[in-house]
Parts: sequence; structure tokens; C-alpha cells
Amino acid sequence: MDHRDPDHVLGRLLGPAGPEVGCDECFEELDRYVELELAGADADAACPGLRAHLAGCPACREDYESLRSLIQP
Amino acid sequence: MWWGAIREPETVAVVQPSGAGLDPDSREWLRALRADGAERDEAIARLHGLLLRGARFEVARRKPTLPHLRGNELDDIALEAADDALVSVLARLDDFRGLSRFTTWAYKFALFEAAVKLRRRAWQGREIPLEPETWTVLAGTELEPDAQAEQSELLAAVQRLIQEALTPHQRRVLTALALNGVPIDVLADRLSTTRGALYKTLHDARRKLRRHLTESGFALDTWPEEVTDGPPRP
Repeated sequence: MDHRDPDHVLGRLLGPAGPEVGCDECFEELDRYVELELAGADADAACPGLRAHLAGCPACREDYESLRSLIQP
Repeated sequence: MWWGAIREPETVAVVQPSGAGLDPDSREWLRALRADGAERDEAIARLHGLLLRGARFEVARRKPTLPHLRGNELDDIALEAADDALVSVLARLDDFRGLSRFTTWAYKFALFEAAVKLRRRAWQGREIPLEPETWTVLAGTELEPDAQAEQSELLAAVQRLIQEALTPHQRRVLTALALNGVPIDVLADRLSTTRGALYKTLHDARRKLRRHLTESGFALDTWPEEVTDGPPRP
């Protein structure tokens, strides 16, 4: 994706629309969220607001992607 | 949870948070790390090995974005990250709720420490851009004809609101994080604050922009929510 694309820039500026957790709570829940996701369970129902945070916070998104890549079979 | 809109369901969990519900491997990790003497020392050494594996994994993932760092520097960063993660894990052992495997819980500390160190290293000595560099780039962007009018109008409104509706601190944080791609931990260091506090500021600024835009008649409910990959890494 082009990071200078106007849609992308507006997305970064406006962030996710829905309620979201903060970085600290994201970190607390991340291991549970990733394991649920990899198990095919409803991770978003178990950890509401986390997915929105991952959409709005690039650093937490990177942490999520790394953990998921590391532990997935 | 921020802003009280959602509450965590109580019925969904991988295992029960009580020690009795832990998976055998996690239970064994906790038992050994809480033991005395040589057994604990051996468990700590195993844990450090696990954390080092996690830190090296993160370093390897980011290596292509860090061509200026040599192999031994990357090894040092991984080792420092594992050391710091070990301290954090041991200090927070009682916080482990058993909602994931112990190893997954521990890994996230190593990945976090490695990622923060690598982002800081990448921005070491660099000036933090607090002015909106992206606006000039966007000015030269050719938009699709159908979208051009709508996007141009929205972009213009956002630019105006950033100047008029946000506090100076909100404007500085939004500009650095969302427009200029400064990593949040790097900005937190420079401003002597925390990642959580900065994200709260970013969130408040975004909410304020959305509210003003909605009041001005922009239909943001159809705006794509997920812009997942974020700003480019330096």
C-alpha cells in the first residue's frame, strides 16, 4: 500500500471508528488474542476493542504480527 | 478498556486463570521458576534461552529494514532485549493469568523489548519531524477523478481542523505519529512520556477530528476502518 495515498493518510489521521483498548491493555491481552485466533476461536469477542486498536496503532500491530508469526505452527 | 463502551465477556477463556486450570507445560514453568536453588537457576536459564529465541526472531524479521546495523550489533540488541524481557517476566510472574500458554505470554515480552530497541536504534540521532511533511506530498498526488473532489474536500477539512480544533500537544502528536511515521516509542522517549499516554492523546485527537467532520456533514461511517499496516518503518 502506498503510504502517501490519500485514503491511507486519512485512515491514519482519523483512526478506527469504534471503541478500542489502549496500548497497555493491548499488551496485556495480546498473547490470549493471538492464541484464540490461531485456534480458530472468536478472539474479537474475547478481547473487544483489541482489533480496532491494532488497526490504529502501528507499533502494537507489529507486536501482534510478530507474536503470531513466532508461535503459529 | 478505554471509554467504557465495551466490557470484556467473562465466559471466554482458553483456560481458567486459577493455577489448577493451567496447561501442564505452563504449570511446570511456574513451579520451576518459583522453586529454590539450582532448580530455579536452571529454569531461569531455560527461560532466558526462550526469550533470546523470541528476540532473535524479531531482529531477523526487521533486519531488512535496518541495513545500517551490523550483525554483531543486531546480536547485541537481541541479547539486551532478552535480558530486559527476563527481568520483566520474573517481576510479573504473579500477573500470569493462564489465559494463554506461558511460553506465548513470555515471548511477547521479548518481542516487545526487541521491537522497541530496534525502533529506537533506527531513529537514533534523527530529528523528529513535527511538521506535516505529508501535506506537500499529497498536493502532488493525482487522485481518481471520482474520488478527487470528495477526498480533496475531506483532506482540506482535516488540515484546517488540525490547526483549529486540536490542542498544540494533540497537533504535535498526531503530526508526528500519523503523518510523519515516527514510531510511538521513539516519540514517547523524546517527549518523556509513555506509549500508552501518547496513544491516548492520538486517540483523543482522532475522535475530535471525527466529531468535527461529522458535524460538518462528512459521512465517515463508510470510511474504511482498518488501515492496518501503518506508517512505513524508517
